[in-house]
Amino acid sequence: MLSPPQQTIIDSGLLSTGFNCVLQMPTGSGKTWLAEYAIRETMDTGHRCIYLTPLRALADELTGRWNQSLAPFPVGVFTGDYGKADKPYPVTYETARLLVMTPELLDSCTRNWRQHWNWIPEVDLLVVDEIHLLGDSNRGARLEGTLSRFRRLNPFARIVGLSATLGNRDELAEWLDGIEFVSDWRPVPLTWRSVRFRKAMQKPELLVEEVNSCVQGGGKALVFVQSRRRAEELAKMLKERGFRSGYHHAGLNQMTRKRIENDFRGAGLDVLVATSTFEMGLNMPVRKVILYDMQRFTGTDYEPLPVVNVWQRAGRAGRPGLDEQGEVVMFFPSWVKVPKGYEEGKFEPVISPLRNMSFMAEQIVAEVSSGMAKTRNQLQEVFRTSLAARQGNLPTVDKVLGQMIDAGMILEVSDEEGKTRLKATKLGRAACRHMLCPASVLLIKSVSDKDMTFFDLLLVAVSAVDCTPVLLVNFEELGDLSALLSREKSYLLKEGLDVAAAVLSVKGKRLLSSVKMALVLRAWTRTGDTDVVADSLSCGSFEVQSLVESAERLLLAMREVFSSGDEQEERDPVSPGIVEKAAALEKMISTGLDDSAATLTLIDGVGPKFARRLLDIGICDIEDLASASLEDRAGLYGVSDRRKADWIQQAEELVKEKSAYYFVDNGPGITSEGTQWDASIDIYRFRRSLDLHVETVSAKEYRVTGGLDPHQVVVEGGVIRCDCPDAAQGNTCKHQLAVRLERGGDAELAKLRQLMEGETGNQGVNLGDLWISADRRFIL
Amino acid sequence: MTEKRSLKTRKGTITFPAYVPVTTFGSRYPLDNLIRPYLPRLAKAVMVSFFYAKQMGNQAPPRIPMWIDSGGYASLFANAKVSEMDGLGMIEFETAGQTQISHPSDVLAFQEQFADVAFTLDFPIPPGTDKDEAQKRQRLTIANALWAIKNRRRRDLPLYACIQGWDGESARECVQAYKGMGFDGLAIGGLVPRSGDRKQIQEIVETVRGEEESLPLHVFGLGNPETVDFLHSLGVDSVDSSSYVKMAADGRTWLCPEDKIADPSPTERMSLALSNLAYVAQQRLPLSASRLLFSGRVG
Repeated sequence: MLSPPQQTIIDSGLLSTGFNCVLQMPTGSGKTWLAEYAIRETMDTGHRCIYLTPLRALADELTGRWNQSLAPFPVGVFTGDYGKADKPYPVTYETARLLVMTPELLDSCTRNWRQHWNWIPEVDLLVVDEIHLLGDSNRGARLEGTLSRFRRLNPFARIVGLSATLGNRDELAEWLDGIEFVSDWRPVPLTWRSVRFRKAMQKPELLVEEVNSCVQGGGKALVFVQSRRRAEELAKMLKERGFRSGYHHAGLNQMTRKRIENDFRGAGLDVLVATSTFEMGLNMPVRKVILYDMQRFTGTDYEPLPVVNVWQRAGRAGRPGLDEQGEVVMFFPSWVKVPKGYEEGKFEPVISPLRNMSFMAEQIVAEVSSGMAKTRNQLQEVFRTSLAARQGNLPTVDKVLGQMIDAGMILEVSDEEGKTRLKATKLGRAACRHMLCPASVLLIKSVSDKDMTFFDLLLVAVSAVDCTPVLLVNFEELGDLSALLSREKSYLLKEGLDVAAAVLSVKGKRLLSSVKMALVLRAWTRTGDTDVVADSLSCGSFEVQSLVESAERLLLAMREVFSSGDEQEERDPVSPGIVEKAAALEKMISTGLDDSAATLTLIDGVGPKFARRLLDIGICDIEDLASASLEDRAGLYGVSDRRKADWIQQAEELVKEKSAYYFVDNGPGITSEGTQWDASIDIYRFRRSLDLHVETVSAKEYRVTGGLDPHQVVVEGGVIRCDCPDAAQGNTCKHQLAVRLERGGDAELAKLRQLMEGETGNQGVNLGDLWISADRRFIL
Repeated sequence: MTEKRSLKTRKGTITFPAYVPVTTFGSRYPLDNLIRPYLPRLAKAVMVSFFYAKQMGNQAPPRIPMWIDSGGYASLFANAKVSEMDGLGMIEFETAGQTQISHPSDVLAFQEQFADVAFTLDFPIPPGTDKDEAQKRQRLTIANALWAIKNRRRRDLPLYACIQGWDGESARECVQAYKGMGFDGLAIGGLVPRSGDRKQIQEIVETVRGEEESLPLHVFGLGNPETVDFLHSLGVDSVDSSSYVKMAADGRTWLCPEDKIADPSPTERMSLALSNLAYVAQQRLPLSASRLLFSGRVG
């Protein structure tokens, strides 16, 4: 039976009009069913369809489902999880009649459209799920560029955009030259309620009450919080109070996440505490959604949670057929007025991130490199019709183009008729092909003539703006990181952190993160085990995996950029040049090979995959291979004897010039220094106290804001008390430190603040000083 | 009457009337490579000239029936001449001191391998051709057609006999020579240089249609929308033309014939060409058409 909005859409023929359209319907009201309906209709006419979803896991889930329901049409999944030598796409582009893709994969296809010209023109329908992603500060500009290019490449394809939360649906529909539809019908109505607390320490107990009332009534509760740590702590607390609870966040590996999702879908869990990663996509309705944190950290400050995010989360409340209504509970301090916009669903508009010059630069390079814009006028025309231009936010095309020409990404050349044409340089093409911001490629180019160790190359890769995720560094980790760092070789760090910061174009906490990320990747090449790396370097194994993928892409680009130098690298039998090093490092990262195992890839015909197989039978480097016995050879199944003999012969020749240590770094070592500070002051809390705002309520009372929750600090008889959970455990909390600073006259704190706000002046590598002096506005 | 005629090919039956867009393979016209995958949306068949069809290489043929003409227009090139051997006409090309020959057997063999609809090797007779040469070209055109129908091996390859003449009476001679010989259609060539003389076109077409009422009738090279309507009204079933793409390459469209896009990008040219084709073939316009027309781009 169709829902009312589904019936209206089908009856009106909205999906068959031949026009683009934007559908805004609440979560759970049947958008995916409508997409499937339109897809089936389109495929029946002999054309292909694309379904874009921002989540890889959802792409897999939908592909599995549609391979059943849309049979015999072949459905292919195209995400970053596939398309590798050891994990090809299950169905090829050419074969798939429905392509379920992430926006990034379609982006790549539009940039390299000539290679995909055997299927792109056959597409007649492009469904863009969660089309509000256009406004996403990380992925939005690329999605906009993708849609723009796709529309030009295929002037027949209709776009159907789906979202539950759009503040400017009409504007998006106009941008797409299409029509719009909105419905607020929900299969299960929502009730909204606020829970008020006077002190933040009351929140956990209030949460227990809310969870209890839901679970006792046979329901399940989903709790949204703003940090991983809080998700884990609250899940633990709820467990201790007798609830079957779990947590879900981006730090968990895919398998663990899947297990938790299944437990929560089934009978294993009644309460799930999740971060924003649970916000989109997965269909997992519950009776009650509890929004424990109504603010989020933007990287520089805390801000109220946008209405869009609140509704994405609230949309999970209410199970069709099981609940009469879904409950949404928001936690607010008692002194805050609850904004009406939340319950009324006054969504923020989608604003094009192309207003950012660096995103614009990337799109300009992509347009020129793909051959879709060949002159300044053509480029102007492309961006004249952009969403950013419609919104009046577009940077000047000529200005950004000029920067790209100056940076050597684009050339202006005269054609045979004397007309001026735009042409991408090798650098520009590398940026386009690997979907990198021009800034990332320029960073790589800037180090191409420097002496670099593997660790240095990793530092460059992870400092690029395209490297994700950025791993944060806690104060407590500094000792371990320093110890690990002292085992590495580095030309970049030899001159000190200030010099490295200048070369890498990162500073403060981001530089610290680069050091940690490079160490994580180095550990991966030595262990090949994400869990081991995650445990030893305080991060999630999923983060390690994502970082490895990101680094692979950057190292591929690095290899290409280094190779595009004017002079061919001279082969040095004793130590590898930078091109060879980048190539070896890319292989090491792609399969978790260490320096000596990487020498196996010097053999023609041995790539990372075969090197890994040789390792498995105990052949760890070229010297092992050169002296491999018959027994060793026998362990290598599926490789012909002739091929094995050829490898061994090559290895025998190679070891005459190169050793198993050919790739082992021989750059300068890194000496790590310690920092002296007053041990009675917890530096971590002090660092955070500098971000807080202190408001004087009376001579004795202060209100401290800027952290997760506002807190009250009272000073009586020289004793400073705070109502936060940290102070309740007997610690000198950050709020107390903030008030001490505000009141003045504390020489020790003043000295420490001076150190934090000043330059370190150190020439050596001192992660502690770097942490202290780091840019205060960086994400903690 | 015209609507009822149709043509059976190995890729399906083509119902008339039909506008058959011309495309090319190879690198000379890159815009054609952009447009070609979209042709099945807008056309029932596609025409490729013999010369460009030979450059197809490993490229996939269109999904719709591919008509391959004989490349006889090349006989008008400065380095070409029509010669006779054993009663058949062929074209001799002089290139860099070397002679290349296009013989009816070469044309038919290639067509049998790749075409879904084929045309016999003909020799256009432009206005002003002296009488002897005109008669020779017509005689050899007819001889080639009769040779081809006798030597066709693939029975599922429809073969059109080409008509070349300079007026109604000369065209009639061709039609009479082809009567009862088993051709699947007739194709009138040589009208492009006479496109300004609508009266003469009418005379030739009406004479041919009067002599042969049942076979599909094709006219080479006239693709302007007004002319197409005119030809259909005279009983012509199909025309082929590259004018939809030539206009687009110049930034022009039949939707706004007076206006022009300055400095069109490759995809804009593609969109213009597809809009032109949709317009003349009376098919659904691409979604980009409104953007091009109403965004201030055309002017």
